[in-house]
Amino acid sequence: MLISESSQNRRELHSHPARSLRLAAACFLAAQLVFLPVASAEGDKPAPASTSRSKVPTPVSTNDPVLKAMQNELSRATTELSKSDQPPYYLSYTVYDQDFVGLVGAYGSLLSDTATERRFADVTMRVGTPDLDNTHGQSRSSGVTSGTLPLGSDQDAIARVLWELTDREYKRAVPALMNVRTDSAVRAEEEDKSPDFSKERPATHMGEADAALFDRSAWEDEIKRLSGAFRKYPEVYFSSVVLQVTHSNSRMVSSEGTTLVSPTSSTRLVMEAQTRADDGMDLLRVETFQAPNAKALPAEAELTAKIEKMAADLGALRKAPVAEPYDGPALLSGRAAAVFFHEVLGHRLEGHRQRDEEEGQTFTKKVGQEVLPKFLSVVDDPTLHEMAGVKLAGAYQFDNEGTPAERVDVIKDGVLKNFLMSRMPIKNFSDSNGHGRNQPGLMPTGRQGNLIVTSTQTVPEAQMRQKLIDEVKKQGKPYGLYFDDIQGGFTITTRQLPQAFQVLPVMVYKVYADGRPDELVRGVDIVGTPLAALTRILTTGDQQHVFNGVCGAESGQVPVAAVAPAMLFSEMEVQKRAHQHERPPLLPPPGFEAMASPAKTTQAKAEVKP
Amino acid sequence: MSTLHHKLVFTLALAIAPAAPSLRAASGDSKPAPDPAMAAAHAAAKGDGLLEALLSEIDRSKSQLKMDQVQPPYFIEYRVNDVEEYSADADFGALRQNQHSHFRILRVIVRIGDYRQDSFYARGQGESTILPLDNDSIALRHQIWLATDDAYKAAGQSLAEKQAELKRFTSDANPIDDFAKSSPLIAVEPTVSLKLDEAYWKKTLEDVTNLYRQYPDVQLVTASARFSAVNEYLVNTEGTVTRCGKTSYSVSLEGSAQAADGMRLSRSPDYVVARSEELPSHEALLTNAKQMLDTIVALRKAPIVEEEYRGPVLFSADAADDIVASLVGQNLVGRKPQLGRPNRTTGAFATSYKARVLPTFLSVIDDPTLKDFQGKSLLGSYMFDSEGVKAQSVDAIQNGILTNYLIGRQPLRDFPASNGHGRAAAGMAAGPNLGVLLLKSSEPQSPEDLKKKVIEMVKEQGLPYGYRVETLGSPGNTPRLLYRVYASDGHEELVRGAVFNELDTRALRTDVIAAGNDPLVSNRPGGIPTTVISPSLLFDELEVKRADTSKDKLPEYPAPPLKR
Repeated sequence: MLISESSQNRRELHSHPARSLRLAAACFLAAQLVFLPVASAEGDKPAPASTSRSKVPTPVSTNDPVLKAMQNELSRATTELSKSDQPPYYLSYTVYDQDFVGLVGAYGSLLSDTATERRFADVTMRVGTPDLDNTHGQSRSSGVTSGTLPLGSDQDAIARVLWELTDREYKRAVPALMNVRTDSAVRAEEEDKSPDFSKERPATHMGEADAALFDRSAWEDEIKRLSGAFRKYPEVYFSSVVLQVTHSNSRMVSSEGTTLVSPTSSTRLVMEAQTRADDGMDLLRVETFQAPNAKALPAEAELTAKIEKMAADLGALRKAPVAEPYDGPALLSGRAAAVFFHEVLGHRLEGHRQRDEEEGQTFTKKVGQEVLPKFLSVVDDPTLHEMAGVKLAGAYQFDNEGTPAERVDVIKDGVLKNFLMSRMPIKNFSDSNGHGRNQPGLMPTGRQGNLIVTSTQTVPEAQMRQKLIDEVKKQGKPYGLYFDDIQGGFTITTRQLPQAFQVLPVMVYKVYADGRPDELVRGVDIVGTPLAALTRILTTGDQQHVFNGVCGAESGQVPVAAVAPAMLFSEMEVQKRAHQHERPPLLPPPGFEAMASPAKTTQAKAEVKP
Repeated sequence: MSTLHHKLVFTLALAIAPAAPSLRAASGDSKPAPDPAMAAAHAAAKGDGLLEALLSEIDRSKSQLKMDQVQPPYFIEYRVNDVEEYSADADFGALRQNQHSHFRILRVIVRIGDYRQDSFYARGQGESTILPLDNDSIALRHQIWLATDDAYKAAGQSLAEKQAELKRFTSDANPIDDFAKSSPLIAVEPTVSLKLDEAYWKKTLEDVTNLYRQYPDVQLVTASARFSAVNEYLVNTEGTVTRCGKTSYSVSLEGSAQAADGMRLSRSPDYVVARSEELPSHEALLTNAKQMLDTIVALRKAPIVEEEYRGPVLFSADAADDIVASLVGQNLVGRKPQLGRPNRTTGAFATSYKARVLPTFLSVIDDPTLKDFQGKSLLGSYMFDSEGVKAQSVDAIQNGILTNYLIGRQPLRDFPASNGHGRAAAGMAAGPNLGVLLLKSSEPQSPEDLKKKVIEMVKEQGLPYGYRVETLGSPGNTPRLLYRVYASDGHEELVRGAVFNELDTRALRTDVIAAGNDPLVSNRPGGIPTTVISPSLLFDELEVKRADTSKDKLPEYPAPPLKR
């Protein structure tokens, strides 16, 4: 339940929080993204195949040796295991091919330059009945066993490994079912008595690969040049430019008759820069670009200009005062509002959270009720590939359970209508709407794709700052806060801990009522509780803004997008950010030996551009 | 301490700079003058962009690094491991993984305090970071600069923590220094790189694992190649500059199966050499793999060891290498115990200095300067260690008596100076470790005579058979290939499901009665490559009993039929 542009794992993967100026992190990030399923970038419609559940379906004819091996082995496993005491009622194989190039540049050199090719398989099995099976409740992970598969097209070798994984999975699923049955006999009846697996129509789809070539040596040079642009800025202690190019193909076959082939490609460019204020606070700026292939990334001149802006922002942030805790009117830029909605609302609309009795279930019983101001509507639409000229990271055609992606109206005119559903049914919502997503190796849950907030009560974006000042004056406060750029956020949805969220802003300005220039401040996080925060939206801008990121939750890391207009809140609470207290580096950076202390840079213009 | 008795054939520059210690007084805040010791270092580094970048940052840090309330560093060390690796795995005749990687890791150690007591404790043991792959000076120095800054700050904190921790204990009358002085060493050797025919190895791994088609009872057949070339660069503020390279080529096979009763059986032989031309050929690997798979098939049908046995057991040299590595080698390594603990080292030989730890006919040396043994390259060989100290041959156990521990620059009681065994894996702190460990007998006997002896002994004891172990599995020294040697006619019978009971340092000291004349080189790859050389060993009494392992279910349904 965490969204970030780069990866929040930067810190989680680090044993030492004080090592935040460490570059190795960028490489962990690169390695980690190898395992990400990549959103589809195609547009054709699925053609559902008609099959009955009772017999093994006829496989879709194919020349792909990998798919053939999968089909043969699936059919053999289904037949052979049907003779056992506890035959599976559902079995699927998903094979992911991933071809990955990762370049990490820093200060004009490459720290890492890797190419990796891998293939792995998820074997998903359900024993018992759709009403109660081995994946029930805490046993959910017993539904999948994963492993790497041979590369290439040797069907014998691929079949052999699939057989072994299937055998292992069967030996986990059967004992898990026994535990589930014992548990449900012993424990008090659950509130939501929905079945464990929904009935869906099997789908068949053979996607075509996008054959864009990647000029690795040209990009090695460009990454060196881009990362070298940070050399001019002695106050940028840490910086990296990371390019990740992934070509992947996911093939899925199931005992229900689903056959999907979804080749996809994606390219991410992440530029990260960090400095440390004199009080030890690490300050971070991240810019991310996402495109189907490297050619579609912005031109080098545009990227260099971004780097200069990042460096200028950091220079200004180092000198900015630390903001005090505050509760009052606030203006969120479109990207900030998008992350806010992803955390505060999106995660709480994920289907499985409505039946899990450990969950807070903020919205479970609010269907048909107003949860947002009337002028706001929210959809999650993975079928949308682009918005406001930006490619959306959360687009896909089929979810990880093979269900076609659907546009879901979750909130219509402020009223809660629906949830983001995987094939795990909940009370009153028995079917998937194509939001069952996971990182390879994990069981899917309802997840967000492209969460889009729209508004009917808008003012031109240029007038939003004035609206903030009006509200500040109305409330008799000296200033309001404008949140321009954010780095990510997280939320807690369980019952054991307070229902809360946090959005991590990077560029925050005090906007004064008395006409003084805006003042950049640092070190604050937006905090609050979901139900209260959502009702305080007064008005929105008229432009949609996109935040593309990677979201982590129980079912792993998945790419998502959040889209929203700028929003004015009557009240928003901010708290001081926890930070390390280590001093900035003692000596000036190499190349700036003559410098006495960390460099001075020109103050960035403090000006509101929602 | 023996001297370096080896010619540095490949050395470009070998000059031992004047042994004047370049340390400053710990409390000295006088402005440091340009250091003559470093001049020789700079001269030696000329032309190597990485060494030059390391030296320019070490100069700057040594003379300028200073924080309020914290002493300046008395010692700084930079060690860079440039690691080029190739790895490939195949199973069932198909490649599953094929990867090249190249990275550079820097380890920075900043010590504050003095040689007597310093900050090498907890976080003060250094920082690691990745370095650029090219030799761009600014990009390199930027990373070095940040890591040094972190290391210095961590050292400041750690010294205070260490001093606080020491207050809990009565202070030692004769405290042992924290760090041993060492004369500067300048030795810049040529770098090494990987020699690799990738297509050949891909095909070989696929061909070897394709043998599974002929062995329907074997469940898993895997082959892997791990080739690496590591160049180590080291500079410190004492004026040491070293550069040296090491290649390692390792091919391993693995096969496993279940017996009809479910018992899991496996073999995992490997071939590890320092020179690529010593690797087994395609044909030889196929032959070896067949032999391995044959033994797995034989193991499936072999009888289980049901009854406890106490009597003679003969370890072949391959099996003996493993027990010498774990029971002797690991205990000879002189690791300093935790703060406040009185022992000399950790491990089973902690209190054994000058005591008997092996039978009197056995001696052990560790000689990293040995490059070859009986024509085989030794992976544990090196000319100077990861702390810039010349490698030395150390007499560790003489006629059964422990006379020396293997140590680096962390002194132990009675061992004030390094004997050139401070070794490090890429990016990790250096610590004492083995180089080339050699166990020798003063009364070597042929393996045939040793087997005859086993038969004589079992006859004397009225036992139907004795045991001979061919090879061990890890972990835990469990036998993989164990044979009964029958008293009647000397024939051997393969058995399965056995473990040794109480195979420990006591058994090694009191129960080994003879050793072979068949020393076998066992190269051990990994972060710190080592070599162990031991002959066969005969125990007059050892317990062999049934392993307490579960018997897993067999597969639910048969393996897929083969199409090709």
